[in-house]
Amino acid sequence: MSSHAVHSITAAKLPRRRKAGGLRGFGGAMPATFLVILFFVVPVLALLLRSVLEPAPGLQNYETLLGSTTYLKVFANTFIVSTLVTICALVIGFPVAWALVIMPSTLTRIVFAILLLSMWTNLLARTYAWMVLLQRTGIINKTLMQLGVIDQPLALVNNLTGVTIGMTYIMLPFVILPLYGVIRTIDRAVLRAAALCGATRWQALTRVLLPLAAPGMAAGGLMVFVMSLGYFVTPALLGGTSNMMLAELIAQLVQSLVDWGLGSAAAFLLLVVTLALYAVQLKIFGTRQMGGR
Amino acid sequence: MLLDFHRLGWWRWVLLAIVIAVSAFLLLPIIFIATLSFGSSQWLIFPPPSWTTRWYGELFADPRWLAAAFNSLKIGLIVTVLSVLIGLAASFSLVRGKFRGRETLKALFLTPMILPVVVLAVALYAFFLRLGINGTVTGFVIAHLLVALPFSILALTNALEGFDKSVEDAAVLCGAHPLEAKLRVTLPAIAPGLFSAAIFSFLTSWDEVVLAIFMASPTLQTLPVRIWSTLRQDLTPVIASASTVLVAVTIILMLLVALVRKGMKS
Repeated sequence: MSSHAVHSITAAKLPRRRKAGGLRGFGGAMPATFLVILFFVVPVLALLLRSVLEPAPGLQNYETLLGSTTYLKVFANTFIVSTLVTICALVIGFPVAWALVIMPSTLTRIVFAILLLSMWTNLLARTYAWMVLLQRTGIINKTLMQLGVIDQPLALVNNLTGVTIGMTYIMLPFVILPLYGVIRTIDRAVLRAAALCGATRWQALTRVLLPLAAPGMAAGGLMVFVMSLGYFVTPALLGGTSNMMLAELIAQLVQSLVDWGLGSAAAFLLLVVTLALYAVQLKIFGTRQMGGR
Repeated sequence: MLLDFHRLGWWRWVLLAIVIAVSAFLLLPIIFIATLSFGSSQWLIFPPPSWTTRWYGELFADPRWLAAAFNSLKIGLIVTVLSVLIGLAASFSLVRGKFRGRETLKALFLTPMILPVVVLAVALYAFFLRLGINGTVTGFVIAHLLVALPFSILALTNALEGFDKSVEDAAVLCGAHPLEAKLRVTLPAIAPGLFSAAIFSFLTSWDEVVLAIFMASPTLQTLPVRIWSTLRQDLTPVIASASTVLVAVTIILMLLVALVRKGMKS
């Protein structure tokens, strides 16, 4: 059989492909597109509209949010906690990610299993654990008192300390995993060169390893910061009522106070800040670092 | 030097200590909950003075907890089926389609995963109140589907990109109907991807709290919603046992995924 004949059979039997048409092969994506547009794009846009239409057209909801000390305190709480969580997660996460790259592979595998287990353990279960661990009569206070470090139980829960501890715990894997990816690609020869040139370990760390890992730190840190800004469950349970963060404020405005205008405006502020920070991340690091839950 | 474990000197012991401490920090709360769920102390004294299965007894005797668990299971399974089917169709289109803007479309599908879930929850809550499907299984399924679908699409586009389409074409050349070729050649080849998509879709729904809080009604709650509303009243050990059940299901499913991946490699 000549190659020409084979070609004609191929062309006849394979599903025919239309030549032109900008939507070739789009059909399969229709249900998903429909779902996402109807139940994601439309509701989010409707929410945005409500923020400028209710109770009356105008920007008064945004003025109220940005002009009252009550709401500014919520923004401040959100910003402070997110910053603290990001710093803590980076400081704790860097040595772990570094160790994961160089440790014997059995150990690495165990630590990875623990990281995944922690990430996929129900958020409520983990938060509940911290509520119990951190309470006044909890094991942490008890141990510290028995050791004589403190006389009075520390207030570790129902305040921003509790929120910071609980959220750092939750965010750690989200720093460690991208950071691991970056450190793993660092050429070991560069560090060997530093050693040959007489750098001490400390100099090699601060002048070579840390700068090379910086893109990973920035990407992981930014992701954790953004995720922390919109976190709801952990702040609501560990923070108590007087230390509200933004997500909880949104929920309360909508569910308890039924103030849709103000609630929508707060939600939209959160959305804009989040998207802006993701845009920064995309611009600086490209798409490869994206991910997470 | 710094990237060579054996030439780190005493630094490696510092690193090792940090890794062990962080691992303990990550594991501790999970072990703690499981231990407390078998402890006899109503006040969650640790270590427990004695052991009991009383809290599991209370959990499984309470029709409200059982109903919540049943709802979680039902919603999770519906979400899984829909997420895999819609995700599979979308992935075929994203990987093999020739239309413009495929990258943008994929980004659109993945967006619900990275946005603050509270924003999505509030938006859907408002929308569903208008449609009158708040507090229904339909509402729950749609909400969870939106956040489960990205996992499904990620797993399936990944699997399809790794599959050599000429194998499918060969089946067609040998006389198979294109659909038959897809069903009997392509799908078995990407089975691990399908499996991951299913498990992660289920787990996303099974573990989801924020959307569920907004979608729930007094008569329709999932397990996480029930834990949430109980937690706001007190810290009873029944929650520890409910959490343990929740976590146990997750661990079993994750192990299944790991086993399947391992089986595929060997």
